[in-house]
Amino acid sequence: MATDKQYWKSLQERDGDEVFLREMQQEFPEPSQEGTGGWSRRGFLRAAGFTLAGAALTGCNRAPIEKAIPLLVQPEFLTPGRAVYYASTCAGCAAGCGILVKNRDGRPIKLEGNPQHPLSHGGLCAVGQASVLGLYDSLRLRQPLIDGKKATWADVDTALIAQWKELQKSDRSVCILSSTVTSPTRRSVIDRFLRRFQNARQVIYDPLSSSAILDAHERTHGVRALPRYRFEQAEVIVALDADFLGTWISPVEFSTGYAAHRNLETEAPHLSYHVQVESRLSVTGSKADQRYTLPPSQMGPVLTQLAVRIAKAAGTVTSWQAAAESPIASRELDEIANRLWESRGRSLVICGEQDVTAQVLCNYINHLLGNYANTLDLANPSLQRQGSDQALQVLLQDLRDGKVGALLIDGVDPVSELPEGEQLAGWLQRVPVKVSFQDHLDETARLAQYVCPTPHYLESWSDSEPASGIVSITQPAIAPLGDRRPMMESLASWSGEAASAYDLIRENWRSNFFPRQKAPSSFDIFWDQSVHDGYAVIEPQSPQPKEFDLAAVHPAEGPAAGNSGSLELVLYPKVGMLAGAHAGNPWLQELPDPISKVTWDNYACLSPATAARLGVADGDVVLLKATSGAGSAQEMELPAFVQPGQHDQVVAVALGYGRSETERFANIGPRWMEGQPTLGENGRVGKNAAPFLELRDGALRYAGRSITATKTGRQHALASTQSYNSLSVPTQGAFPGWEPRPIVQETTWAALQQNPKAGSDGVSPAREDLWPQDHPSPVHHWAMVIDLGACTGCSACVIGCQAENNIPVVGKDEVRRKRAMHWMRIDRYYSEKASAVEVAHQPMLCQQCQHAPCETVCPVLATVHSEEGLNQQIYNRCIGTRYCANNCPYKVRRFNWFDYPRQDPFANLVLNPDVTVRSRGIMEKCTFCVQRIQDGKAEALRRGESVNDGDVQTACQQSCPTQAIVFGDRNDPNSRVSQLANSGRYYRVLEEINVRPSVGYLRLVRNRPAGTEENNRG
Amino acid sequence: MASTEIGWQTPLIQGSKRLSQVTQDVCEPLERKASAWWWIGFLISLSVLMVGLAAIGYQILTGIGTWGLNTTVGWAFDITNFVFWIGIGHAGTLISAILFLLRQRWRTSVNRSAEAMTLIAVMCAGLFPLIHMGRPWLAYWVFPYPNFRGPLWINFRSPLAWDAFAISTYFIISLLFWYLGLVPDLATLRDRSEPGLRRSLFSFFSLGWNGSYRTWQRYETVYILLAGLATPLVVSVHTIVSMDFATSVVPGWHSTIFPPYFVAGAIFSGMAMVLLLMIVVRKTMHLEDYITHRHVDVMARIILATSGMVGLAYLTELFSALYSGNPYEQFAFLNRALGPFAWGYWIMVSCNVVIPQLFWFRGVRSHLGVVSLICVLVNVGMWFERFVIIVTSLHRDYLPSSWASYSPTSIELATLAGSFGLFFTLFFVFCRFLPVIAMGEVKGVLSYGTNQEESHHES
Amino acid sequence: MSRRVIVATFEGEQDILGVTGAVRERNLSILDIYAPYAVHGLDKKMGLLPSRLPWVCFLLGLLGASAKVGFEYWASWLDWPVNVGGKPWDSLPAFVPLTFEIMVLFAGVSTVIALFMVSGLVPGRKPQLISPRVTNDQFALVFEHTGGNIDIDELHALLQRYHAVQIEERVE
Repeated sequence: MATDKQYWKSLQERDGDEVFLREMQQEFPEPSQEGTGGWSRRGFLRAAGFTLAGAALTGCNRAPIEKAIPLLVQPEFLTPGRAVYYASTCAGCAAGCGILVKNRDGRPIKLEGNPQHPLSHGGLCAVGQASVLGLYDSLRLRQPLIDGKKATWADVDTALIAQWKELQKSDRSVCILSSTVTSPTRRSVIDRFLRRFQNARQVIYDPLSSSAILDAHERTHGVRALPRYRFEQAEVIVALDADFLGTWISPVEFSTGYAAHRNLETEAPHLSYHVQVESRLSVTGSKADQRYTLPPSQMGPVLTQLAVRIAKAAGTVTSWQAAAESPIASRELDEIANRLWESRGRSLVICGEQDVTAQVLCNYINHLLGNYANTLDLANPSLQRQGSDQALQVLLQDLRDGKVGALLIDGVDPVSELPEGEQLAGWLQRVPVKVSFQDHLDETARLAQYVCPTPHYLESWSDSEPASGIVSITQPAIAPLGDRRPMMESLASWSGEAASAYDLIRENWRSNFFPRQKAPSSFDIFWDQSVHDGYAVIEPQSPQPKEFDLAAVHPAEGPAAGNSGSLELVLYPKVGMLAGAHAGNPWLQELPDPISKVTWDNYACLSPATAARLGVADGDVVLLKATSGAGSAQEMELPAFVQPGQHDQVVAVALGYGRSETERFANIGPRWMEGQPTLGENGRVGKNAAPFLELRDGALRYAGRSITATKTGRQHALASTQSYNSLSVPTQGAFPGWEPRPIVQETTWAALQQNPKAGSDGVSPAREDLWPQDHPSPVHHWAMVIDLGACTGCSACVIGCQAENNIPVVGKDEVRRKRAMHWMRIDRYYSEKASAVEVAHQPMLCQQCQHAPCETVCPVLATVHSEEGLNQQIYNRCIGTRYCANNCPYKVRRFNWFDYPRQDPFANLVLNPDVTVRSRGIMEKCTFCVQRIQDGKAEALRRGESVNDGDVQTACQQSCPTQAIVFGDRNDPNSRVSQLANSGRYYRVLEEINVRPSVGYLRLVRNRPAGTEENNRG
Repeated sequence: MASTEIGWQTPLIQGSKRLSQVTQDVCEPLERKASAWWWIGFLISLSVLMVGLAAIGYQILTGIGTWGLNTTVGWAFDITNFVFWIGIGHAGTLISAILFLLRQRWRTSVNRSAEAMTLIAVMCAGLFPLIHMGRPWLAYWVFPYPNFRGPLWINFRSPLAWDAFAISTYFIISLLFWYLGLVPDLATLRDRSEPGLRRSLFSFFSLGWNGSYRTWQRYETVYILLAGLATPLVVSVHTIVSMDFATSVVPGWHSTIFPPYFVAGAIFSGMAMVLLLMIVVRKTMHLEDYITHRHVDVMARIILATSGMVGLAYLTELFSALYSGNPYEQFAFLNRALGPFAWGYWIMVSCNVVIPQLFWFRGVRSHLGVVSLICVLVNVGMWFERFVIIVTSLHRDYLPSSWASYSPTSIELATLAGSFGLFFTLFFVFCRFLPVIAMGEVKGVLSYGTNQEESHHES
Repeated sequence: MSRRVIVATFEGEQDILGVTGAVRERNLSILDIYAPYAVHGLDKKMGLLPSRLPWVCFLLGLLGASAKVGFEYWASWLDWPVNVGGKPWDSLPAFVPLTFEIMVLFAGVSTVIALFMVSGLVPGRKPQLISPRVTNDQFALVFEHTGGNIDIDELHALLQRYHAVQIEERVE
């Protein structure tokens, strides 16, 4: 069974032969040398007496991970060359999405969403998909460190157990500082560990904190919990500064729900109404039907005004009618309030502000609308955010006063994530015992005497309860790649009850979860079932919320006197980078931001007007000075980036940059005469904006500090993948009666109900041909339809494609030269409508034209057409004339300008053996994941039936949280893709040049009144 | 043609030469020691060539990434230079073949060096399609050679495959044409020089030519045949080159007037280059009597005429684009004239259309300094024409999301310079070791213009 | 049997043209004329038939063209049929340019080779010069004296009339 924990490689190991184990320890840390030196293979053969098969396998120069495969008895579920999928749980962030780990020849090479999973429903975000690369990070610590020197676990345990004995006597506090712990087992182990001390506590903080929401619910409902937001039930959504489709709490879960309620391709099409009020342009804002931009200081007043209106509608009298006047026209506010009220119980108001008063108001509105128990589930709350910034504040105070006796740090890097990182580093010196569980030496771990590296989640057992009642398993998909130890094992052994994580989890599930579930009778069945599915649904067990406490509600005050007029700072997470936990992941660093399309940097976003006022353009370095807020006036120099759709009073800077992990990128990308380095002057990627954060009255604040920005006159080139952002050509090129190019077509919900073809550019598909059609596709004709309405631009597909197709990372300079290699890119177009900026995302990949212009011009037939309608690229025949790329109207072909370095042989273990790694001087492009098509056909053959719709999924389609991408066989009239191709919204880009693309799009639809549909992208 | 009338009145060769005199004048420079000027010029071109070779070597070792190209602009300097040099080459064939068929006897003084220029220019041109490949060491794959990789042929529908054949055919035919014309002169040199390496070399390549009239007769026949073949060939070559663009779907490339437009442009730039070289050769090798002012005058007129054709082509494509009603096409051309690369467009227009108009004035045509300056400008303009066509069309095509810019790297600039280095190095070598004037033909027209009946012998 | 051959050299184009005509009127058979350049009209005076090389050119050109177009069809339709941009198997228009190039190549190269063959022009071949200056500035007329209806003195006078530079008799 796939989940037998015994990944032993030989009898000696199973029997724990000392000699063998020692040799294995020398063996594993340098897997990279397996490919190079002959010694390691011999050494390994000496170490593990393998079967002939084992020896043969190692002969083929693969990294020693293959050693995990050849058991004495070949397990039937492991066929070399065939992928095995393990259900598991993503630990990329606290959201806990369900994943399927694609395991090939004994190593995980790709993560995909688990379609059965009750939270993520098969979606998986960019960060989650990229996290597989972290497994093969050669800079991860391979064994524990004591005072920076390599040590054994025995040393660590003896040393620390002594320390704990000391502390048990004293009353100095022992504190575990961690990020949100979704693993119930780990939580119980932590509790048991802390219970042994007189004065011990766990402090949880989230670098992207939502603690204000929890605190607010403590006030209003008496339970400190985060409600589970059910977007799939929300007909009207009003979000204030909450980027719930991009980065807020659980984006995949929310995107799935959001899309479920905006589906126009069903019998009963419905489209929710989404109002976004925000200070900068977020991914969520880019999808809003109605969008308002406000500075952070204005959010409170808007909420108040909204509350007043809803209260009036509800017939409750609020004493504070005369609150600060609203920055949004009251007529429009009335409209929003009405819409909310009309669909009460089916509406949702959320707020991303880290301000308890505002959050209380938000709760009040939802309470009045009767949304609790409908679109907000507080009875079965979400556990994806547990941080308490108040507790954090107290801890920091204690640290300052030197009251802390021992600090165990897990999963966070406070020195680089918290506002007073510098000082904190100083205070930590006063802590006698510092233990870090990080698997790499981040700024905090460097200060710890004891570093107890924890394994990657793909190589260890764990569990998770992202939402109360939904528990899921994280199972190892590979033998551990180093001598690391899960935190719970360390704590357990320090508490004197040493046990393996596997046993701990099993035990916890047996005693706590098994009783709370219905179906299986025996625990083993329940366990195997859960491990197989990756999750289990059990009886939730959480404190029930009390009645809504009106007394807690107060109007949110308007902008503080000083604030108004001056610039306000907004610190935001990027879709790929979040708080920076994955800053060392090159895939995510090179992932273009869905809105700005900039890679490898963070920058100061300024609205066009503000940029003009300051006289800066993209790449001009500006000096940001904080003039208000806690601490000394921090200042920082950042390159400016002109961001349409942002409020003029706002300067937005991304968090998670300037991390020490990024120093590794010094040599990434090709080296040549005119090549520029990827790292900035500080030797890192971007700059760390955390010092600008504010930890004020019990909340970590990301927005609202008033700052000044001044031009320095220096330059810092930004690497963007898209330099022209509109579908209208520049005015000097515009011909009289100019139309925006109908490449993205959009319409409104109202117009669509009148005419299913609304928004069409009137180009009739497939006209007569001059020549006979000599090339039918008798069996399959693979095709794709992309729903522009559903696509949020989240870029999960971009990383999915990169992982599946071995797409190289090229470094900042190459991106700056417009040589990014992503096969799947997401074009983002702005359009101005009455000064309101609208955004359209368009995933653009090889359109697999039936009359492919690229094929005709290739002199050596390196790109030709397959019988299944695929536009094939034959790498080893390509001589690199680039004529095909020039002649591609969609510019989706990618050229290998250099031998893009893959120096790190360890990281190369993530490569997909089914896909060629392209060499220098040849063209490459999207192939519709032809290897997955072939695999699907082979599977069907094995089953002895024909390929069913959905058997073949492309990598981009598989993980799309909103299922915007549909792939299938056009020859099968019942396939989903054929049905969508008959939709009125279906169109093909550049239909008029008659290249007959196999990829079609469904028109973008906005929920608007009729008459507002003309798409004047300008 | 205008030049014919002149032909009736004035002799083609001045200072009534005797046959031996011609031999003397043409061969003597080759038998002298090389002049200091020759060495200076040769060494300068050679060093520039070396720089270019270094750049090419670096690029082939490191990758095409060392050029300023990107995903959107896949061609720039490389193909620009290729088309530019091919264009230069065409004037040689025009003079040697087309003017021969048109019985323009004045060509005899210039055709030898014009043909040499063609060969050299085609070499320079051929260099670029080769090094612009991502994997130049596989360049031979563009030819359909029998192989054991199962059926594996080339794409006969690809203009690039057409290019490969066109260029090689063009080179071979031009080489034969040039060599054939050279054989009698080699014999003359052979019989002048005293025994030694030079003599044996001349003797080897002159194929035992002994001036037998029976051979002369067949020789003349074949010469006409080759001229007859080369004439459509030169047209086809540049037509095919223009099809690299015309058959594509890129707005600004996809245009049916490209073939005639390119051929006219080729003759235009090539003629300017020939004229420039002639003026230099004439001065440095004291051949004033052979390359006379009337040659300069006639070629200046041809330049003027072709400049008119090129100008007409510019207007036509602009009009047809704006009239097409195709927004992509319209934008491509407005973007050329007004977009980021407008400077290139206006350099092209002024150098190719405006400045040559000066040739309307006899005074300008007769002033060698001014003529050579204009010739240089014309070539600058024609280089930019190709650059504008290639880069401005590519950098902003259908999807605005993929619009990008382009700027050359030092490697590309060095490579361009290197191609000029190659051109002049080879030309210097040619001037030094081979007769720059076709004696066999000049002798035939010595009496031309002096007695009328000469021209009645034309068959 | 031995025959007497007369070699007369001249320096003027008009002289050689004139003397050739005169000599043929005396129906002395002209073996050959050696000239530094192709004197126009001399072939008529000598009564040479036009060369047959154009036929070589035409036939080889035809062969090249038909071979090429045939090969293109065979290779891209029969031997290795691949779908290239949805273009039909019969893409004659796309095959034309290559066909033309190959035609020109065949025609040109073959004609030149034919010329070298019929005229015995071979690289490195030792030249037999009838007189040292025929590649420079002299014309040499070579004809058989035997069988003529003119005696030697008349003949000399005739040649002198056309300013013969030198007259010699050779026996072969």
